[in-house]
Amino acid sequence: MPPKGKKGQDKGKAGEEEREEPLQAVILADPFETRFSPFTLERPRCLLPLANTPLIEYTFEFLANAGVEEIFVYCGAHRQQVEDYINRSKWSAQSSPFSKLELIQSTSHSIGDAMRDLDSRSILVGDFLLVYGDVVSNLPLEGALAAHRARRVKDKNAIMTMVLREAGTTHRTKARGTSPVFVIDPAKDRCLHFEQMPNRDQTHFLSIDPELLSDHQEIEIRQDLIDCGIDICTPDVLALWSDNFDYQAPRKGFLYGVLKDYELNGKTFHTHIISDHYAARVRNLHAYDSVSKDIVSRWAYPLCPDSNLVQGQSYRLGKGNIYKEEGVILARDCVINSKTVIGRGTSIGDGSVITNSIIGRHCQIGRNVKIDGAYLWDYASVGDGSVIKKSVIANEASIGRKCTIEEGALISYGVAIGEGKTIRGEHRITRAKRRRESNEELVRGDPDLEVVGKGGDGFEFHDSDEEDEDEIVDSLISSGPMYNLANFSQESISTLNSDSEADDYEIRHDRSTSGSFLSVGSQDSQHAANFDHDASHSIHESLVEGHESANIQLELTALRMSTNASDHQVRRAVVSAFVKRIHQLINSGEAIKGAVAQIFGQYQELIDRAIFDKSQSDKADQVDFMLLLQADLSHKESGDAILLSAATKLVELDSIEEEGIIQWWEDNKSSENDDMKRVREKTKSLIDFLQQESESESEEDSEEDEDSE
Amino acid sequence: MAQSTVIQAPGLSTFLKSLKTTPVDPSVEHLISLLKRRQIRNSRPCAIATTALLLRVVGEFKGRDAAKLVERIRQVGRRLTSAQPREVVVGNIVRRVLGLVREVVDENADGQTPTGSEAPTPVPQHDSLHRPTLASSMSTFSPLKHAAAEPMHVGVYDGNMSDSGELSRRPPLLTSHTSYAPPSAGPLVNSLFGLFSQPIDTPSATSTPSGAQSPNGKTTFTQQNLERLGELSRGQTSLDLKGEVMEGIRELQDELETSDKQIAEVALEHIHANEIILTHTASTTVQKFLMYAARKRKFTVVHAETYPHDHTATHGVLLTGKKRESHADEDDEDDKWKPLTEAGIQVYVIPDSHVFAIMSRVNKVILATHTVLANGSLVAAAGAHMIAKAAKEHQTPVVVLSGVYKLSPVYPFDIDELIEHGDAGGVVPYEDGDFVDKVDVENPLYDYVPADLVDLYITNLGGHAPSYLYRIVADHYRSEDITL
Repeated sequence: MPPKGKKGQDKGKAGEEEREEPLQAVILADPFETRFSPFTLERPRCLLPLANTPLIEYTFEFLANAGVEEIFVYCGAHRQQVEDYINRSKWSAQSSPFSKLELIQSTSHSIGDAMRDLDSRSILVGDFLLVYGDVVSNLPLEGALAAHRARRVKDKNAIMTMVLREAGTTHRTKARGTSPVFVIDPAKDRCLHFEQMPNRDQTHFLSIDPELLSDHQEIEIRQDLIDCGIDICTPDVLALWSDNFDYQAPRKGFLYGVLKDYELNGKTFHTHIISDHYAARVRNLHAYDSVSKDIVSRWAYPLCPDSNLVQGQSYRLGKGNIYKEEGVILARDCVINSKTVIGRGTSIGDGSVITNSIIGRHCQIGRNVKIDGAYLWDYASVGDGSVIKKSVIANEASIGRKCTIEEGALISYGVAIGEGKTIRGEHRITRAKRRRESNEELVRGDPDLEVVGKGGDGFEFHDSDEEDEDEIVDSLISSGPMYNLANFSQESISTLNSDSEADDYEIRHDRSTSGSFLSVGSQDSQHAANFDHDASHSIHESLVEGHESANIQLELTALRMSTNASDHQVRRAVVSAFVKRIHQLINSGEAIKGAVAQIFGQYQELIDRAIFDKSQSDKADQVDFMLLLQADLSHKESGDAILLSAATKLVELDSIEEEGIIQWWEDNKSSENDDMKRVREKTKSLIDFLQQESESESEEDSEEDEDSE
Repeated sequence: MAQSTVIQAPGLSTFLKSLKTTPVDPSVEHLISLLKRRQIRNSRPCAIATTALLLRVVGEFKGRDAAKLVERIRQVGRRLTSAQPREVVVGNIVRRVLGLVREVVDENADGQTPTGSEAPTPVPQHDSLHRPTLASSMSTFSPLKHAAAEPMHVGVYDGNMSDSGELSRRPPLLTSHTSYAPPSAGPLVNSLFGLFSQPIDTPSATSTPSGAQSPNGKTTFTQQNLERLGELSRGQTSLDLKGEVMEGIRELQDELETSDKQIAEVALEHIHANEIILTHTASTTVQKFLMYAARKRKFTVVHAETYPHDHTATHGVLLTGKKRESHADEDDEDDKWKPLTEAGIQVYVIPDSHVFAIMSRVNKVILATHTVLANGSLVAAAGAHMIAKAAKEHQTPVVVLSGVYKLSPVYPFDIDELIEHGDAGGVVPYEDGDFVDKVDVENPLYDYVPADLVDLYITNLGGHAPSYLYRIVADHYRSEDITL
């Protein structure tokens, strides 16, 4: 570490300059997760209504509260919707408290990528706030900012301050299932160690470096904190992200990793623990439920419905936390119980009882309906005599008469449920799906009358792929209704996806998880990081722009020469770029097979030029290629499905020979850990097929190989 | 740390600062969002922000059409009040400014007829504002009528009609000006009458001695009126509508500034030696009032701490004389004074729950208020109702201190609507997960105190019985403006 006195002086000057700089903030509007599917098929998460106000409004409010001036919104899927919304909102009006509000579209598929992308854009000049598009907080940030700046003046290596909210041992707003554990030195508010429970080995043991115990007088190990995802960062943070190109998640990956390498980089992280304001993230459906409750019960005051944050709202508070907008039509003997929000134009029929629920605008609720703890979004309608419990019913969905919607059901946009149906808690019903072979974004799926009843519209969210179905239903049953979905971690992207959602074929979630490469051969990752990054980047770029494969090859070769990269690295770059592009295509609505076929078919040459062992019997290069592919996909949602398609396609194109595939399958590395095993499961069918076939056709194949050489 | 000032949380001071540089419409939006986010709260900051904003609105208003100006102010006012309907003061200020505009218009229309020095050439747009029929509704003002009084454009009257209208409206105006002098100074005739009829405004039985009046204000007003007379006689064909209204608004600002002082000046008539005074909240008005009395008299103060929303401020006021340490830089002259104890006054801080127990020994209860309603009831910081009720039980007089700007023409038809509910976390810590999940916590910030629990109001105009407040309302607000 550099001598302190000198630094202090330098910083004194810099501090003065900083005063001139506007406070900047980055909103990660797309957290690259799928917690809110099927709703996020059609709408971006940040526009989902929370207590009848789009989530991102709360984030903007928070930032305006904190005195932020420049905002960069990082969009992933549904960019157009986000952009439209922001353009129409008051935040981009002349009167907006923000002097700059910019949308950034990126191709990244993980937070890590987004951060690296930000770094390369170098738009952030000074300290900035990093928040998610789903933060709900009424916290004034001056305290945290002042503390952060003071620390920066003293020590340039204090690069990040995390704002954490105290929340006892049990709390509804805390993340369930997985819990972050912070090891903090209270004297300096420094975060010494971070681990998410259950940790990587799926155990609940925290292993602390013994040095921490000897170096620090006092250590707090805290598990009672809500991590609301508000970070005050310095530009160094971005640089660190760039240096460590394999970090994906900000906490589990980045924070954990950098803290572990403290000896190496000397950067410190700090915490700002608050105990008197509201701060939470709507990170999953469980949090959606609890934050909604918090808002309705005025824990997040002044972020309440009756603050009418969005223009045109006119909520008024009545006794017992009942919020009604103007123009609500209530039948004389309907009963509105406490903690209810009802939007404009909604009409509620005779004898209906509404408790604890949030009902959007222009909803039609019939007679003798019982709604308890449910979330009805705008234009939903409920027929006479239905019973709705703790569930989410999205815009324009209609529930027929005498239906029962059980706890935990999710009913997506425009779904219609026929008369007398019972929707069980684990059902997620949607009308939209993404088609495999077409470029169209969303297609309406055919209604599955079994589920939605006569005259209904919609199908179960995951009913398209029979072989997957059992698996998914299983995992959902085991995890229970939606409020237990929170069992999945907050940012353990890979576990979440692999647990429940990675397997569905047809319906692609808007968010995939990670697009960059995970280094398998980590021994060369350090010194050749540049090559990896540049090469993958440039290939990807070219793919996006649809360049000729020959040109790409030329560029790649040049790059390889200049950095003296190994073949392995070339392959890795190719794989990572391909996977990234495939993911991108899938996200834009392409079906997996189509995307894979397009990319691998068009750029087959690139793969062939990276594999040099066609004539040998030991297909080391091909095995290596497949391993890289597998590793890269193992951390992604639906990686297994892509892997299957990719492997099939590669064999079809003969870029990888059958022997190569089989050798890969038998290679120890391909099944060395759980992730790898999981991702290759599906490919088993291909292997079985090939193994049968290879016995009879191996001769023929080898001939073809020579042809393609 | 010097750097803590780098990022200043938005609030009144940042708003006033930005008001100078930003154009009007964004400023309106700015204030709306500040109100919505409760970054400007409580009556005085709201009033200051609103007047400053309206000053700009009028200042940047283009055109000379009074009707349009009124419409413009109303439009801004509607948006401001709907942003935070419970800050009634915002609406009050808007109505006062609207009243100013109408005043200026009326004065030019009828101020010239009696002087008769020049042929009155009423500017056409005045006619649209002339509302002869409203003259009676001034004096017989009733809240139930306000729905009917939606009088924006009643059509165009010709000159004759407006003249005849003036005749019919003159007499009620005389009485209506008795208890106050409009800051913008009414027409000569009216204010001269006002000068003479001033004693009327202390209704004999119900009010405190007339010394509670603020005579200073009166004289200056008359002086201004004399000046204006000069202007009038010099020729009023081209009316400086904007200028006059702006001047009126500035006077309104002065009123906001001086109201505390004016209220404090009558302190000696209400606080006597060796009395025990009970009060609550960290109200500036009350503190100044007590300080003023403390210069001459020795008495004892019992201070209910108003847990949970105001207790920190209360403690701050009592210990240091400052409400909040963090905002030392803003509201300098407003937020800083010596604590009462330094003036030799004994102060006891008690929790709100002990109020009843100690009430038997209290001689007088002095309450600050958030808003005063037209029927004499008030909305004050939570706990006020309990204190007033306990005082009633012990027949202890309850005195409410309030600037006239807090007096609202609103009638409490729906009391729940008036009460702001605050952060539940103020009552139960949010960390307590079980509690948060299973218990509904309510934290009302204000209490509604019915009129019969209050014995006396002291405003910057003097003392009034609650039953008399409707008159002051009628004097300050035009009935056209009751519904914005």
